[in-house]
Amino acid sequence: MVLDLISQFAQVLVFGLINGSVIAVGAVGLTLSYGVTRFINFAYGEFLTYGAFLAFLVATVGGAPVYVATIVAMAGVGVLGVVIARIFFKPIRERGPLPLLITSIGVAFLLRNLMRGVAGTDPQSLPVPLIRPISIGGVQISPVGIAVFVVSMLAMGAIHLLLTRTMLGRKMRATSGNRQLARVSGIDTDSVIRRTWFVASAAGGLAGVLLAVQFPPFRPITGWRFLLVVFAATILGGIGKPYGAMAGALIVGLAMSLGSFYVSGSYTLAYAFAILVAVLLVRPEGIAGGEI
Amino acid sequence: MAIELPGMVSFLLSMTTLALIYALLALGLNVHYGYTGLLNFGHVAFFAAGAYTAAIVTIPPPGTVSGGADYAIGLGVPMPFGVVISLGASALVGGILALLIGLTSVRLGNHYLAIATFALAGIFEEFIRNEAWLTRGVIGLNNVPKPGRSALGADLWGLVYMLFAAALVVGTYLVIERLMGAPFGRLLKGIREDEQAARMLGKSTSQVKLKSFAIGGAIAGIAGAVYAHYIGSVVAGQFIPLVTFLVWVAVLLGGLASNRGVILGAFVLIAFREVTRFLPEIEGYPTLVPSLRFAVIGLLLVLVIRFKPEGLLGNPDELVTTGDDT
Amino acid sequence: MTAEEQPPGEAILSVEELKKSFGGLQAVDGATFTVSEGTITGLIGPNGAGKTTMFNLLTGVLGPDSGTVRFRDKAIEGRRPEGIVAEGIGRTFQTPRIFRGMTVRENLAFAAQAQSGESAFNAVFRGGRVSREETQLREEVDEILSFLDLEDLAEDYARGLSGGQRKLLELGRVLMLDPDLILLDEPVAGVNPVLAEDLLDRLHALNEEGRTLLLIEHDMEIVMNNCDRIVVLHNGQVLATGPPEEIRNNEAVLEAYLGGEIE
Repeated sequence: MVLDLISQFAQVLVFGLINGSVIAVGAVGLTLSYGVTRFINFAYGEFLTYGAFLAFLVATVGGAPVYVATIVAMAGVGVLGVVIARIFFKPIRERGPLPLLITSIGVAFLLRNLMRGVAGTDPQSLPVPLIRPISIGGVQISPVGIAVFVVSMLAMGAIHLLLTRTMLGRKMRATSGNRQLARVSGIDTDSVIRRTWFVASAAGGLAGVLLAVQFPPFRPITGWRFLLVVFAATILGGIGKPYGAMAGALIVGLAMSLGSFYVSGSYTLAYAFAILVAVLLVRPEGIAGGEI
Repeated sequence: MAIELPGMVSFLLSMTTLALIYALLALGLNVHYGYTGLLNFGHVAFFAAGAYTAAIVTIPPPGTVSGGADYAIGLGVPMPFGVVISLGASALVGGILALLIGLTSVRLGNHYLAIATFALAGIFEEFIRNEAWLTRGVIGLNNVPKPGRSALGADLWGLVYMLFAAALVVGTYLVIERLMGAPFGRLLKGIREDEQAARMLGKSTSQVKLKSFAIGGAIAGIAGAVYAHYIGSVVAGQFIPLVTFLVWVAVLLGGLASNRGVILGAFVLIAFREVTRFLPEIEGYPTLVPSLRFAVIGLLLVLVIRFKPEGLLGNPDELVTTGDDT
Repeated sequence: MTAEEQPPGEAILSVEELKKSFGGLQAVDGATFTVSEGTITGLIGPNGAGKTTMFNLLTGVLGPDSGTVRFRDKAIEGRRPEGIVAEGIGRTFQTPRIFRGMTVRENLAFAAQAQSGESAFNAVFRGGRVSREETQLREEVDEILSFLDLEDLAEDYARGLSGGQRKLLELGRVLMLDPDLILLDEPVAGVNPVLAEDLLDRLHALNEEGRTLLLIEHDMEIVMNNCDRIVVLHNGQVLATGPPEEIRNNEAVLEAYLGGEIE
């Protein structure tokens, strides 16, 4: 009896961790882009949606294996992000964060409905092989879930290396710390911003694929609905702080899993929202101390 | 006394009534954002609160309806005078909900307020869907009475109700204009531009923001009641973020703090949405045209912000952006 | 190191052992000084000495880590800005924070205190009273416009004002508060010399009315010529206080300014 409870709890934890790992990829992307552009991008959810659909296209129509489709999706969404930024955000950059925020909502709407128009509203799934879950100590874990977790960890690792070991990473950190100062010390901030958009959007695309794989099926609205969860993780972690976002994502993932199981299964997003509101009330700068 | 109206007129009446409801929503959001600068991205929650309140106040008591699970509360206040009570209750509930949400967020910076209101509206939406004992979830409360419907017959009622909605819009407009013409309006605008500076001049800005929140929420509540009594049913699936988004476009299109402007914006938007319903479908792509209609609205928002940020009827002198100093 | 010397006259503002740090930086580190009623006191110090932070602490924008601020025997440290303004303290900023989206007249009218029309209820239901108050307010605003020579600009939007005019407007708003103590953060910085003279004359006029002024200023000549008393801040502490002649010759102060002479 107690063993059952324990393995149940472990199950919930595992699920929460996998959940959190999907959120983490998105949250890190969002926070990286915020750090450098200084506005809350409500269109970020659409990068997830586009990532999932692009991967779907490449995998089903193109017949490529899922991992190839994922890479293509990441690159594609990365480019999309740069293009979107260039067309919609760059021209009004000097107006301040508010017009940018509202514009991003319009862009989100535009992108979402373009997707709906072209792809329809039917739910889709990526052709991921159906493998039976394996059992470890009474806990059922699907190999797909493990793959998702591993990919997410690799992505986190890659971001970490990017930030600490590369020139771009250093420039990103400098620009997000103080853009004026960065520019004055000779950093081509336009180029840094452009490349950050690429990385952040590509991360969003990857998050979308992971989301689609872990929680099929997906629809044009999937990314948008997930956006709030990503926001919760990002703000919990401290906006603009990538490592905070990783921690925040795991916490939100766990909270959603625990809440769904132990409190009420009919509320899912509500747990993420509740965390978000709680953070904003108690400690808006989050775990790692970000500020808007 | 049944009067028959041609289908086109019926359609126009229906479109106008809907536009008037959105005009009320826009007037409410204008108080929040146009005047006070509050980024309220959860406006649909106040609309829903008003609609459900109107429903609960006027639907017959539980046990009288068949088909599906029953609801737990129905006050059955009789029509047609029940409308007044229903409107009052909806305004009250909308205002109180706004106040509660405001209490959690007004001390936060504006961008956090945006996210918080968005999140809280999301929680509210899940609440409506899940607490079927109160709302009958996705099935909805479908027996909301339409005041005067049986006496007037379908078509005449359509006309009379539209006039009723129009009267409410005019009335709300007049009250807001009076409110904003007084020092209260000046106070809101100062807070909109620089809250800290307003505090340094002795103004209790948090209190004022809460008042603004409550007023806008109450107006949205009234819109909800008008909607409920018009459609005759309130269903969870109607109160989605799309509604908030459309109201925002109406407000931004219409103009910063311009009440006439936002009413105009609401009409332009709803007219666009309803008229484009009739555009022909494209073979093989059934969702293309319907979705493009909405994509255009998104694009419209982007264009307004970029090229005419003060909106159609707003005052460009009042518009202040960051890159504005000499 | 703090200067304990008490200035002559009634203390309108007294600061004791005030401390404030940000992260690792100790911006104000045990500052103690007093301002006498009816004086013009200058707050000077090298960059980074903690002057603007001090103003923020005095006006409730920041709360201190420790220490007290008394305004006429009332403790005001840590109180909210709205409350401190109500006590009778007004403040201007280095870059004037006027409302660019309002006219000059609206800016001034905004600042009036105890306006019953600011209540939503009154605005809707007590139109008569609100109207009467607005008329009275208009007269008050006209007076200030006249005092500041801004009458011609009354209906212009504040965004069109020059830097100097904005400073005048901000001063005007503060005057609407009828403050006993006015804190001025670099009132003549970046203003052409003619306008600066003009501003200073007006400040003296206000002082003659009985208002106490505390100003942050970098221009030594202005400080020496216009202040009754000077408080020198350095590294968050009060280095010296006294009349201009004393400060001019004070060794420690000269050193703090990197060995330069004070003109």
